[in-house]
Amino acid sequence: MSESVAELTPNGAATQPLGAYSRPKGGGGWRDWITTVDHKKIGILYGATALFFFVVGGFEALLIRLQLATPNGTVVGADLYNQIYTMHGVTMVFMVIMPLAAAFANYLLPLQIGARDVAFPRFNALSFWIFLAGGLFLNFAWLVGDAPDGGWFAYSPNTGVTFSPGHGMDFYAIGLQIAGIASLISAMNLIVTVLNMRAPGMTLFKMPVFTWMILVVQFLLLFAVPVITVALFLLVFDRNFGSHFFNPEMGADPLLWQHLFWIFGHPEVYILILPSFGIVSEVIPTFSRKPIFGYEFMVFSGIAIGFMGWGVWAHHMFVSGIGPISVGAFTLSTMFIAVPTGVKILNWMATMWGGKLRFNSAMLFATGVVSMFTVGGLSGVTHALSPADTQQTDTYYIVAHFHYVIFGGALLGFFAGFYFWWPKVFGHKLGETLGKWNFWTMLVGFNLTFGPMHILGLNGMSRRIDTYSPGFGFDFWNLFATIGVFVIALGVMFFVINVILSARRARGLPPEPPDPWDARSLEWFSPNPTPVHNFDEVIEVSSLDEFWHRKWTTDEDGRVVRKATAAEVCQAGDAEGVHLPSPSYWPIVLAAGLPLIGLGLIYNLWICVPGTLLVLVSTYAWVFEPPDDPDGPFGHGHGHDEGDDGSHDEDVPGDGSPAGQEAGSVE
Amino acid sequence: MDGLLRLIRRAGSPAALLGTFLGLVGCASDAELDTLTPLGPYARSIDALSDPVFMVAGVVFVIIFGGTGYLWWRFRDDHSDEEYPEQIHGNFRLEILWTLVPTLILVVIGVFTIATLADLNSSEDNAIALSVDGESTSWEPAVVVVGQQWWWEYRYYFDGLDGVDLSDPRHLPPADIVTANQLVIPTGEEVELKITSRDVIHSYWIPALNGKRDAVPRRVTDWKIAADEPGVYFGQCTEFCGLSHSRMQMQAVALSQTDFQAWVDQQLEPVAEPTDPAAVAGMAIFETQCARCHVVNGVNGPHDDKPSKGADLIANAAPDLTHLMSRTTYAGGIFNLYEPDGSLDRTQLEAWLRNPPAEKPAVAEDRRGMPAMGLSEVEIDNVVAYLQTLGASPSIEIIAATEVE
Repeated sequence: MSESVAELTPNGAATQPLGAYSRPKGGGGWRDWITTVDHKKIGILYGATALFFFVVGGFEALLIRLQLATPNGTVVGADLYNQIYTMHGVTMVFMVIMPLAAAFANYLLPLQIGARDVAFPRFNALSFWIFLAGGLFLNFAWLVGDAPDGGWFAYSPNTGVTFSPGHGMDFYAIGLQIAGIASLISAMNLIVTVLNMRAPGMTLFKMPVFTWMILVVQFLLLFAVPVITVALFLLVFDRNFGSHFFNPEMGADPLLWQHLFWIFGHPEVYILILPSFGIVSEVIPTFSRKPIFGYEFMVFSGIAIGFMGWGVWAHHMFVSGIGPISVGAFTLSTMFIAVPTGVKILNWMATMWGGKLRFNSAMLFATGVVSMFTVGGLSGVTHALSPADTQQTDTYYIVAHFHYVIFGGALLGFFAGFYFWWPKVFGHKLGETLGKWNFWTMLVGFNLTFGPMHILGLNGMSRRIDTYSPGFGFDFWNLFATIGVFVIALGVMFFVINVILSARRARGLPPEPPDPWDARSLEWFSPNPTPVHNFDEVIEVSSLDEFWHRKWTTDEDGRVVRKATAAEVCQAGDAEGVHLPSPSYWPIVLAAGLPLIGLGLIYNLWICVPGTLLVLVSTYAWVFEPPDDPDGPFGHGHGHDEGDDGSHDEDVPGDGSPAGQEAGSVE
Repeated sequence: MDGLLRLIRRAGSPAALLGTFLGLVGCASDAELDTLTPLGPYARSIDALSDPVFMVAGVVFVIIFGGTGYLWWRFRDDHSDEEYPEQIHGNFRLEILWTLVPTLILVVIGVFTIATLADLNSSEDNAIALSVDGESTSWEPAVVVVGQQWWWEYRYYFDGLDGVDLSDPRHLPPADIVTANQLVIPTGEEVELKITSRDVIHSYWIPALNGKRDAVPRRVTDWKIAADEPGVYFGQCTEFCGLSHSRMQMQAVALSQTDFQAWVDQQLEPVAEPTDPAAVAGMAIFETQCARCHVVNGVNGPHDDKPSKGADLIANAAPDLTHLMSRTTYAGGIFNLYEPDGSLDRTQLEAWLRNPPAEKPAVAEDRRGMPAMGLSEVEIDNVVAYLQTLGASPSIEIIAATEVE
């Protein structure tokens, strides 16, 4: 865009920035945060927002467990309970796990491939603000006292306007569409980034496993999100404009929604889990002091999961009456998706075999994933058996299963990531003692809460029931699980305390020296915390685990000997005048328009007018804002000089080539 | 003891390992919805399929969990030296091995799964001799099951289901017997279920007799159940169906061949005119207040003759009360009609008639669920007196078996 603007200017030469609107000058404080296009700040914003919603979703979980602690519970009524459990699911999936993955991906992916930023920094900011807008919009439903109450998979026709006449499901349908835009933008951005901006020498098969898994996830998002968007779009029309896409009374197929939802919903499961697999694949080798076992198998099993994940959706519909042939086919495809997942587990164990394991908090959480996810994977196999699934589905056995996958697999993995990359992001480590308290309380609490749910489910307790009678044998384990959830809450509190205390302890101290963990991948080339320009100079990559190979080599006996210290290998982070994309006002302004349009669709179409205007004006301003600001604090290093054809698009640092090249010109 | 045995068996389930040793504390005396205690051939074949798989999963879990523990202990860094361990990048053969072994295990499991699946989806031609209105007939046990917010209707067509148009669940053809919440079946026979719904998706599940199957509006899904022994088997709607989903329960009552015949005879009998003055007054209230949604044969005709029936999507259809007293439960299977001694549980029934939404959440303004009719205490007494004339009470064994607590 800005390229054509530059060419259209009367002066021809792009000697000064052009455009109708000046760019923010930064200036520190909160203004920096709302106008930032820096992938690191955006990553932090994603993480902080996700943790905020984690607390919200956690409170909802506590209410659920309090209501179910005893038979005939009266903590909340049926109506409120249905809203709480729906919002708990929606919040944890869309507002916690997905953005946590986005947080890690945003912060780390450019660093792991040696890039200056993502391919489209303003888009990156846009995707965060749209995600935030979607999350706030969805939770706004609580404020108007009418939260979604149809379950996170919102089966029609129960979510049609006949059976759900309030506005809750509108908030669901529109809120998730808004959040979906964020996921799509982010997916395209990261795919382009990985494919185009890797450091010289970093072929695809020299990328860290984390980067690989994020890449697979972005492709899953790219193809899965449009499916749910279509479904939600149709639902909005059914609910607000009298269409009948999901109304069986008018001849609609009552299972259409289920197919659309699960064609999205099953890849979504891998969208939730693969980022954590990536993190675990970084943490375990580092603290086993060994390379990842079977890198190719790890990568290909991730890709295989990505492909096979599209062929298993109807296993969510084994009892919906889709017919025995379909059920049989999806039974088999579901069973075999267990194979690549199992390969990953065994390869992690083989990575640890023969290593020298250092059990700090990050490693504890990562090995926690290995064992806890295994439980979820195995219970997954038991309901791949479609006849057995007719007993298990929609019971607490399923609730147990997916919490072992999403909590035991995804969330524990993110905690491993917190402890591992905290010094990279904030310049100091999280405390180890509190970290271990954090791990053990969360692990124990998690098993106390969700372990008994296997028994409850097999004892016949349905999910989504707001109460149960005494006498079915549900009383004891429900109380048990409720106690467990408070142990989890305690574990989360240890984490929060750890964050606060370690920040306080680090105040006034010099930042953590480079490479605190004897790590392996490119992000550790830069000092802690990562300087705003990421790298001082281009990193030439010649092998997987490039950073490690710069520090260590093997002697003739095959023993690992030091080649260089981390301090020698790491960059100083003091390069000056590095050209960086300038901040922009428009992502946040554009994002603010979307929830207004959503409110308009729900309450009064006139409210759509200001919302649409905001989107249009900020799009216009976005296009016509100058490439960057020469007076800004972000430098203008080599500027628009010799040979620069004016295509110095601020959205593509490094002119689309590996970002290092640009940094190279600074030297 | 039963509970303990179940828990021991369940120890094979990996996930329940943690729970098992604590299980001794919490064995349930009653577990009517337990999926691991099959009491019919289909539930048993599911159990026979899943038990070995729980076992395999348990073994795999122990290997992985134990293996991880071993790795923790065996390879922890003792900081004795700063030497790096040997750098192993992989082992192709090993990795092929642990790709193939799980694949083979899954192939074996897959074969058994498909076989069980085929078995559960087949149906046999079984027929029982039945006398309907004095005429002997051969009936292939089949019941139409209709889900509705938040109760179940059962319809028996003794001439068979050929030619019975089930495509519009709100205008189903008149049936020989229409009853609600408590499904009555002959013991030891395969009973085909034709499951559909009047509004949203529900799911029909009697765990002891078979897995669940969804009730989908405008679709008829086939399923089957069978019970080994006479008894009462509990169930719960398992697809979230709105406000009172958790209070949408049901039971299957399996009767011996003779008892089933007796039940059919009883259901086909016309209801006696009330004579007691209170009951007569109650009938008048029924006709003016209740008959808009409820049906009593001979009072406001068979369910489907009334023109307003099913006129609205979400209202005007409620359980057929013709032989209410022959059932032991009402209001979507959540209340017992009788005390354990066989007398009417009058307190609960009166509370229900006084203000149903307080007893079971309902969307009164949409008439989803039973609305409060604003009956006075006298009117409630009269209605109860009338309801008591509707049908004969079941055997004390069944009443006792209905008690969960």
